[in-house]
Amino acid sequence: MPLNRKRLVIKSILATLALAGITAGATGLAVLFGGWYNIGATKQHFPLVYSVLNTGLEYSVAHHARDVQVPPLGAPAQLRRGAAVYGAHCAQCHGGPGVAPLDFGKSMQPTPGPLIDAAEHWRTRELYWITRHGIKMSGMPAWGVHLSDEDIWATVAFIEVLPRLTPQAYREATAQGAAP
Amino acid sequence: MSARLAGLAVLVPALLAGCGKAERPPAGIQGDPVRGRLVLTQYACHSCHVITGVTGPETYVGRPLEGLGKRKTIVGGLPNTQDNLVRWIRDPHAVDAYSAMPNMGVTERDAIDISAYLLSQ
Repeated sequence: MPLNRKRLVIKSILATLALAGITAGATGLAVLFGGWYNIGATKQHFPLVYSVLNTGLEYSVAHHARDVQVPPLGAPAQLRRGAAVYGAHCAQCHGGPGVAPLDFGKSMQPTPGPLIDAAEHWRTRELYWITRHGIKMSGMPAWGVHLSDEDIWATVAFIEVLPRLTPQAYREATAQGAAP
Repeated sequence: MSARLAGLAVLVPALLAGCGKAERPPAGIQGDPVRGRLVLTQYACHSCHVITGVTGPETYVGRPLEGLGKRKTIVGGLPNTQDNLVRWIRDPHAVDAYSAMPNMGVTERDAIDISAYLLSQ
């Protein structure tokens, strides 16, 4: 009798798990093929979906950037170079102090957002990794293919001083220096 | 059991009602707040401002806009009227020459609808 009872309990547990798995799978497939989730960029994600994706992004970047070695940053020549690269390749989507992104940058979802507070959210090595490798399904390109390593570090160095620039100082910094 | 179900029946609509309100503008406010909530995401307002009812990053580059309708003044001590808010949204540098908020090229209609949404929060 105790043995039969034990079997019954185990069977019940397994049946419940199987049923839960089938229900979850069927729900997932229904959502996927039903096409109910609005992929349009005029409808925001549900807050839960957004925060799950965002959390995944943060942990993925932290993990993949863990071995990046950060060189000395902030020399005046490097900052000038970084400002030129930023003005040529970043400001279109991210804008700058007092400067709006172009229309496609404003409307992209997820929004590229300003980089004025980027150094508060990301470590230096993470800024480098994101710039070099880009971010899937966000529109952020992998600049590692198009820019030299020195230019990427120069851009990171400039992003780290961005919060200290007034709109006027930003305009002056990005106006000088030829675009790469 | 049925009491618990009844509790849920009351609670769930109450929770859903908490998000995404603003079907009609508050008294004296022009514009369409529902359309305003949509177009403000197309001007990336939510990339710098935390806005009630709009999913987006946790960002404090600009001031959080929660409860804007209840504030007495907006930027630079301007009285919190819809006209002033529209003026600020459309051309921040005309109000404050040193502001880091860019001119986002918002049209008048879009600014009226956006302000209608923000003032309904």
